[in-house]
Amino acid sequence: MAKLTPIERVKRFFKREPVDVMPFFSGMGMVLLPAIKKLGFKFPAVHRHADKLAWSGIESARMFKLDSIVIPYDMCWESEALGNQISLYEDSEDILYPTIPHKKWAELDQVHITNDDVDHLVDRYPMNLIPEAIKIVKKEAPELALGAWQLGPFTQCGQTIELDKVLKGVFKEKKRVEDILDRFTEMIINNGKAFLAAGADFITLREPGVAADLLSPRTFKELIQPRLTKILSAWRSPKVLHICGSTDPLIEMMWKIVKDSGAQAVSVDMKNNIVETRKKLGNDALILGNFDVYKLPCAEETTVEQAVEGIKKNIDGLVDAVWPGCDLWPAIKEENMRAIEQTARTYKAGPTPAVGRLN
Amino acid sequence: MADKGELIELLKDGVINFKDDQVKDAAQKAVDAGYPALEMIMEGLAAGMEVVGDLYEKQEYFVPEVLMCADALYGGLDILRPHIPKQEKGAIAQVVIGSIQGDVHDIGKNLVKMMFDVAGWQVHDLGRDVPLENFVKEQLRTDAEVVAMSAMMTTTMLGMKKVIKMIKDKNPNVAIMLGGAPVTQDVAKLFGADGYAESAGNAVQEGIKMIGRLREYEKKKA
Repeated sequence: MAKLTPIERVKRFFKREPVDVMPFFSGMGMVLLPAIKKLGFKFPAVHRHADKLAWSGIESARMFKLDSIVIPYDMCWESEALGNQISLYEDSEDILYPTIPHKKWAELDQVHITNDDVDHLVDRYPMNLIPEAIKIVKKEAPELALGAWQLGPFTQCGQTIELDKVLKGVFKEKKRVEDILDRFTEMIINNGKAFLAAGADFITLREPGVAADLLSPRTFKELIQPRLTKILSAWRSPKVLHICGSTDPLIEMMWKIVKDSGAQAVSVDMKNNIVETRKKLGNDALILGNFDVYKLPCAEETTVEQAVEGIKKNIDGLVDAVWPGCDLWPAIKEENMRAIEQTARTYKAGPTPAVGRLN
Repeated sequence: MADKGELIELLKDGVINFKDDQVKDAAQKAVDAGYPALEMIMEGLAAGMEVVGDLYEKQEYFVPEVLMCADALYGGLDILRPHIPKQEKGAIAQVVIGSIQGDVHDIGKNLVKMMFDVAGWQVHDLGRDVPLENFVKEQLRTDAEVVAMSAMMTTTMLGMKKVIKMIKDKNPNVAIMLGGAPVTQDVAKLFGADGYAESAGNAVQEGIKMIGRLREYEKKKA
């Protein structure tokens, strides 16, 4: 059987060409603590340093035989570049991702996104570090696929203004919310294009703030679907749409976005009924995710055997690749992570619903 | 002047249909007329929120609607609460609540807080991005019966496990409730929590059920 490199495997996978084994990769954060420790980095120090960002990703992928690196890790880049202060928790001994403690725009009517923000945010600190890190990865780890990502406009809006204001604004100030979402949509398109131009092999559009336990499917259809379609249509392939949380009521609309935009795959988290999703979308759909990113690789109580069973269940749910349903928690149990990777590669030798296997 | 029953209905309807001004107006009229504030809260505002919970459960309402209902409810609560006679003011119980360190999302936490507020609990709101040890300190300071923690992201929920251990080590009788998007029943169990709310909306339902039980208790007492 032909042996593919990780990047060959991922590229063929997205083209639906037969691959050698089940891909094990992600489009969301997958930086792992053992790799950071080996490099002698502190977790808070990797986020705003292109070299450390690149090398922590490379080492994570190589150490645990992942097919991809995902850059960046946290969700505060755009908001910081738009003028918000972030907290890196540099004094904390726990693993804490950066956050935005206070947002400069308290109300929707204060939001002012300039043309320069839309067109050139990626040239501004810290956004400019991301293409730099992507270039380092492409030079130093050409065997690995590199995934970049952008938050969708609604979630990005919630990173810039308090989310409750945005949610209420959907009813109380609909036109204003739509205008803001349109500005973010244009900005996200440009950011994604810059990441792809820097060398990203695929890109994921993540919109966790619109799950069906937050917004109604009707609001999703009216407000979110057109903008996600627009963003994905503007990017080159391969591209993936991911939504966390309750997605069962949205999954057909999600797949329509994928089809209408020329994207390749849909990704969901563990709250999705993946068996039903496969039935609804059919074997033509490239379906990713649904693997419990805490319980299987991280929980102290989860044995290797239980982690293996969990991944088998994930594969039996008819996903097309083993792809975490969200950011992988960095503090993995090494033995569980290695067993998960092994199981992904060996559990089923045959094709998945949408992707064949090399002889 | 509207009678008590009419004002209760206006409060209830105002919460359900997020009519802030109607709720404030009815609450003020109730105060002016000297109607019992606690009854207006429980039979008007809280009863309205029970209907909101049903609408959420039936997926007729989603989080934006619930947030607007909550705004309307607080408009009335702020007016009525100072008029609860002292002997009725004694808190049913105390809860320490907050979003875990690393998490600046607080919608779910604020909705749950509202439920405890309305139910007459004494709420010690630590806010968001709360350092882990602060939950322990506040529980010890207040001797609260319940500690409620929320995390909106997978990347922050692990801190809750540490807090549970720290609290249970010092005081095993404290009931700990977890909530937030990434928290599952399995996770809550693994972390050693006593209660679990699947999401902000689910927390609303849980809180509303609590209010419902309280209203039944109040009726029996009367």
